[in-house]
Amino acid sequence: MKLLVCVSKTPETTAKIAFTNDNTEFDSSGVQYIMNPYDEWYALVRALELKEAQGGSVTIIHVGPAANDTIIRKGLAIGADEAVRIDAEPPSALYVARQVAEYAKNENFDIVFLGKESIDYNGSEVGPMLAEMLGLPFVSHATRLEMEGNKAMIVADIDGGDAQLEVETPFVISAAKGLAEQRIPNMRGIMMAKRKPLKVVEPVEAEGLAVAVRFELPPEKGDVKLIDPENMDELVRLLHEEAKVI
Amino acid sequence: MAEYVNMDTLRFQLEQVHQLDTLFQYPRYQEYDLEAINIFLDAVKDFSDQELYPVFREMDEKPAYYEDGKIIVHPTVGRTMEKMGELGVIAATFDQENGGLQMPSMALLGAYFIMEAANNHVMGYPGLTDGAAKLITAFGNEYLKEAYVPNMLSGQWAGTMCLTEPQAGSSLSDITTTAYPTDEGYYQVKGQKIFISGGDHEYNENFIHLLLARIEGAPAGTKGISLFVVPKKRIAEDGSLAPNDVITAGDFQKMGQRGYCTTHLVFGENDDCRAWLVGEPHKGLKYMFQMMNDARISVGRGGLSIASAAYHASLQYAKERPQGRRVMDSGKKDPRQEPVLIIEHADVRRMLLLQKVIYEGSLSLLLLASKYHDLEKVTEGEEKQKNRLLLELLTPVAKTYPTEKGREAVDNGLQVLGGYGYCSDFVLQQYLRDIRIMAIYEGTTGIQSLDLLGRKITMDNGKALKLLAQEMQQTIGSALTFDGLKPYAGQLGEKMKLSQKVLDFLLPLAMKGEYERFLSDATVFMDFFSTLVVGWLWLDMAVVAKQELVSGREAYPAEFYESKVHAMRFFFKYELPKMEGLAPTLMSEEVLTILKEKEVIA
Repeated sequence: MKLLVCVSKTPETTAKIAFTNDNTEFDSSGVQYIMNPYDEWYALVRALELKEAQGGSVTIIHVGPAANDTIIRKGLAIGADEAVRIDAEPPSALYVARQVAEYAKNENFDIVFLGKESIDYNGSEVGPMLAEMLGLPFVSHATRLEMEGNKAMIVADIDGGDAQLEVETPFVISAAKGLAEQRIPNMRGIMMAKRKPLKVVEPVEAEGLAVAVRFELPPEKGDVKLIDPENMDELVRLLHEEAKVI
Repeated sequence: MAEYVNMDTLRFQLEQVHQLDTLFQYPRYQEYDLEAINIFLDAVKDFSDQELYPVFREMDEKPAYYEDGKIIVHPTVGRTMEKMGELGVIAATFDQENGGLQMPSMALLGAYFIMEAANNHVMGYPGLTDGAAKLITAFGNEYLKEAYVPNMLSGQWAGTMCLTEPQAGSSLSDITTTAYPTDEGYYQVKGQKIFISGGDHEYNENFIHLLLARIEGAPAGTKGISLFVVPKKRIAEDGSLAPNDVITAGDFQKMGQRGYCTTHLVFGENDDCRAWLVGEPHKGLKYMFQMMNDARISVGRGGLSIASAAYHASLQYAKERPQGRRVMDSGKKDPRQEPVLIIEHADVRRMLLLQKVIYEGSLSLLLLASKYHDLEKVTEGEEKQKNRLLLELLTPVAKTYPTEKGREAVDNGLQVLGGYGYCSDFVLQQYLRDIRIMAIYEGTTGIQSLDLLGRKITMDNGKALKLLAQEMQQTIGSALTFDGLKPYAGQLGEKMKLSQKVLDFLLPLAMKGEYERFLSDATVFMDFFSTLVVGWLWLDMAVVAKQELVSGREAYPAEFYESKVHAMRFFFKYELPKMEGLAPTLMSEEVLTILKEKEVIA
């Protein structure tokens, strides 16, 4: 099987999130970055499991500058065979989808994997855009994927339950928790990663149709107020007048 | 999840203070780069977060125990051994020709630091396996290397060190375990060993004991001791494993590190325990000391790791716990104000800073010792000798400072929590119990101090000490280029002079033949000397922080570097002056601890 996994870069899960320039830009100072966990833990690992069971190859693709090569190297250390980096700072999800589609359209991948969302903007946008551009079926939020020949049996998260789906290759799939278990790269893999091919590709022209105008952080949590269990009237009053939830 | 290490501080020290990348120019390490090491450290942190930290308290509450001839340990021990083999942790520093990865030991120390800070009850198992396999690789014949080392590096088999006997603790010259030669190329061994860490459990298929014993008829004392490989299960001709008459007779229940089993092993109870000689007869102690030096660095790292975890636990508490109000300049407190977080109280801040300077100072000391170890492997001639001497000199300090001062740090961490620190609801009491053993493992503080003053200070006519003084002078020179550091450079220079004055008093005692008196306050000298060494390392960190601030490279935010300079100033205000209090004791003419004819200890 020929498998492609899209990986993106996100702030580390404990990074302090702030915005600059009148809240129009993410403040990246002092922020450590990691590979998006949904891409790494579930999409990449399930692709590797399929390759190990059925043979084939796993390619990872990333849209970003050379500074992000550490993230790519980690993907190679975990077990991907080769990597492609589209050399651009992506301004939007549409831009990323356009670049990946351009690369993938003539490569005949059986399955294109990606995480269900990135943990920074949580847009879940690249997957469906990419599937549309490639003219392929798209299955989102997959928690299970089994192959029988070219037929895939998929269990996907839906609101309040699961959906069981079948689809034939080629297709695009977004991975949710449960699709696989995180793999931790070992030292031999990390050293081998340096010798695996990393192809750098120039981006194609792509327009952004939407721009972020302003970001707002959620309001800070207020102080906790302890209410005597005997004083339910006061609790109701506060919920009504201050919290305004009833 | 609660924090137990600060990855930025670890990277700052590895990359900027101790310049790990300078090692990559040597052929042995040339396949490495900082990116690879960072991916490895992140992988180790992930493993620690997921597997080690979550069971840390459980391993204390459900300790290892002995039952029906078996030792029962937490299942995490098995998973960790497997993972340490898979990740390449056990094989990391071995030569490639022996199945290793030739990683700098400095980088591996960083990895162990993370894992031990997450859970100090587990990492002794792979650590001892690494050490035992290194002894076989260094001194064993080809048969021993091929038969045992690969399965140890993969984590399938575990290794131990068997030295102590019921009648012979630190005094190894008194061991009586005996090896009887046979015509079959192996020995039959008989004897008992106690305090054997990681000596047995169900999760490793085999245990390879590196055992000290006397060959029958060997001379008395340490020169008659030989080193043997004694597997729990020996390898039969068909490759299967057969029992080798190694019996687990019991365990020791400890006040801390309760998940790390400590066993009592009986060898040859049924006269069928086969042992294979490592290297030449009667050289066992010399061989074992190679492993002991590594092990001493590892124990220092254990103290460091626990001190780091305790610091972060008490820091988190201090940032969350409101209590009391700050004293106003009028000397009064305003009861109408809301209580402040305890991190705002000066005394709590003092306790936090004390922990920080001890643990980060210990980290620097251990990384530096490891760097000398790495350089000693790859340099030649005078440079090699320099690295060897500096490593030899710093090894007893690197074992003692993080374990003795680390305990003081953890004690202060517990104090930050007040009464809650003493309660089992909070983790600090566990850290304090856990760290206590570190000043005892692999040669007590007393033994390390005798080694420092009695051997290391004087070896090669004091050459190691002169080399260390040159390194310190170099740091002082760099510090003098920053106005803000000049006073501290001056203070360190003064303390170097004070050290020389103390040695000028002590060394003539040895030359006059008053050796017992010369060494009687060796532990006080260790306290004195290690404070000087760590003071130097703090000044060095402050120099690097200042250089980074000036350069504008900003690998870390300015506040990060400023916090390092602040910590250095704390060390120089609160810790370095203690040398002046110890010096009069060291130079006193009064002799109060040497046994005289009339006993004074009632």
